[in-house]
Amino acid sequence: MRVIVKLFGGLNSGKDFKRTEEGDIIFESVESYSVGQLIDALSLNKKPFIVIHNGIILTHLDIKLKDGDEISLFPPIAGG
Amino acid sequence: MKILRVNMSEDTPMVKVEEIGSYEGLGGRGLTSAIVSKEVDPLCHPLSADNKLVIAPGLLGGTAAAMSGRLSVGCKSPLTGTIKEANAGGQAGQVMARLGYAAIVLEGKPKGDDIYKICINKDGVKVIKDNSLKMLPNYELVERMKGEFGEKIACISIGPAGEMKLAGASVAVTDMELRPTRHAGRGGVGAVMGSKGIKVIVLDDTGTTPRQPKDPEAFKEANKKFVMGLQKHPVTGQGLPAYGTNVLTNIINEVGAYPTYNFKEGRFAGARKISGEVQAELEKQRGGNPTHGCHRGCVIRCSGIYHDKDGHYLTKQPEYETVWALGGNCGIDDIDKIAYMDFLCDNFGVDTIEMGVTIGVAMEAGLIKWGDADGAIELLNEIGKGSYLGRIIGNGAAYTGRAFGVDRVPVVKGQALPAYDPRAVQGIGVTYATSTMGADHTAGYSIALNVLKTGGFVDPLKPEGQVDLSRNLQIATAFIDSTGMCIFIAFALLDQPETNSALVEMLNSFYGWNMTDKDVVEYGKKVLKFERDFNLKAGFTKEHDRLPKFFYREPIPPHNTVFMVKDEELDQLFNW
Repeated sequence: MRVIVKLFGGLNSGKDFKRTEEGDIIFESVESYSVGQLIDALSLNKKPFIVIHNGIILTHLDIKLKDGDEISLFPPIAGG
Repeated sequence: MKILRVNMSEDTPMVKVEEIGSYEGLGGRGLTSAIVSKEVDPLCHPLSADNKLVIAPGLLGGTAAAMSGRLSVGCKSPLTGTIKEANAGGQAGQVMARLGYAAIVLEGKPKGDDIYKICINKDGVKVIKDNSLKMLPNYELVERMKGEFGEKIACISIGPAGEMKLAGASVAVTDMELRPTRHAGRGGVGAVMGSKGIKVIVLDDTGTTPRQPKDPEAFKEANKKFVMGLQKHPVTGQGLPAYGTNVLTNIINEVGAYPTYNFKEGRFAGARKISGEVQAELEKQRGGNPTHGCHRGCVIRCSGIYHDKDGHYLTKQPEYETVWALGGNCGIDDIDKIAYMDFLCDNFGVDTIEMGVTIGVAMEAGLIKWGDADGAIELLNEIGKGSYLGRIIGNGAAYTGRAFGVDRVPVVKGQALPAYDPRAVQGIGVTYATSTMGADHTAGYSIALNVLKTGGFVDPLKPEGQVDLSRNLQIATAFIDSTGMCIFIAFALLDQPETNSALVEMLNSFYGWNMTDKDVVEYGKKVLKFERDFNLKAGFTKEHDRLPKFFYREPIPPHNTVFMVKDEELDQLFNW
């Protein structure tokens, strides 16, 4: 399974992952991961508040990831 | 508090100061909308002597209350034909309130083409003819005023666009550095100021003191709780100060709601290059400032200062809506050129949202190519020149669409849609369609719950629950806009009941009221009723509370959704 993880708004991972040209994390695993487990595995500097899975805002983190998925993570932010 | 009326129809402008009278208890948007609703013929031409321009600080303006510096500008809009209230940050709201004015009402119309400046200080009001100011852009105008009146002033002004009475013209308000960077942008309020022959209002509150509450101890305590609430909330205490409003670029792009190429796609490949994160980093590197307040008493500090590559001041930190309109919407991913366009808009005195959407429409017409930043800059410069093309562009997206035969024009009631696609965020579509102001995201900012998960969550892709959401937000916003508070306090208010209570307590202790949460709702409804009644008399019906047809027909990628809220549901918005 290969998942692209995009971190925004000052979120950083404490681990050394492979990166895309744009700097996104390439998360690879033979094991099955839920979104919540993936977030735990990233060792982020801050807890993400908004989690987007393939363009959809999640309300639960127990969704199982599959190959090719994209996850975008944000801290609490706003504007207007 | 007094109302200052300046009638420009007489050979010598007539100045009258009167008690607030029957408008007592109203401020900001509540006051502008009440005066326009009561005193302006809804069927008048917006640029005629019958229209009035009302400028009003909020109920808490000029007090020690944090965040209370917003200034409302109201009239019948030349862009939409509806009632209009546009508000701005900057210093003038606080200064005007400390001078004791609840509103300045510009009335009538001068017979000739002379232009005037209005000078207000603690000793009184002077209206001075000054044709040397004609067609000055805002920055040069403010420099002239600084030279004449000193550094301790605040200015409310129009640029060349306002003098030309273009429907995209804004009213500029100076910030803490005395730069004309904060704008009551929407609806062409600058054109109405121009029609009155007023170029600039210079306010000097030297020798005044903050307005005093009826119960100083209770007020102080409530303000303290209010500030603590804002600082505690992660959005108002951390997110907004760190990156400003443009932090939204990445998240709106990621959820597929970032209107790109004149609302054809929901994602922009160049979004990261123009995001708030990149912008804040550039500001730090170049000696600008990513964390800055736009007025005294601001504790959120979401504004900033943007320097060019050589480290010289270029403009204030462009807001999310501006970066989207002049950037992604037009396929432009050069943040420096977008920042320069922000400067041009401020200098000529035009609304950045309206101009960005207008340039998108011009690109749709083939006038310039998608992504052509230099071409977009040239179009804006045409406004400054006052050329025929510039006057078309400066009149906004609907006008430009007609001039160049474009049928995909993203406007509601003639006003350009802001930076969230209503097919990917259905709740904001309800606000765009039904707002009393034309398409306006601030009127009921559903993005807070549809995307940002502040105050709860309502699925943005489904039509269910969106009308109730928009209605509640429109009512709450009408109240907040009347207090003079920055709308960004709402993020903390939605999540923290104690911060909401602190705001109400500030009003109660200041005025000696016993307002409850229920009264807050009734206040918001009352303001919306002023506005709705005016629009009905101006000829607007439920058929005008709709999005352009292409939002119902063209699915937008990546979600491939259309706007799904039914007309009969939209018609229920004002049934409370």
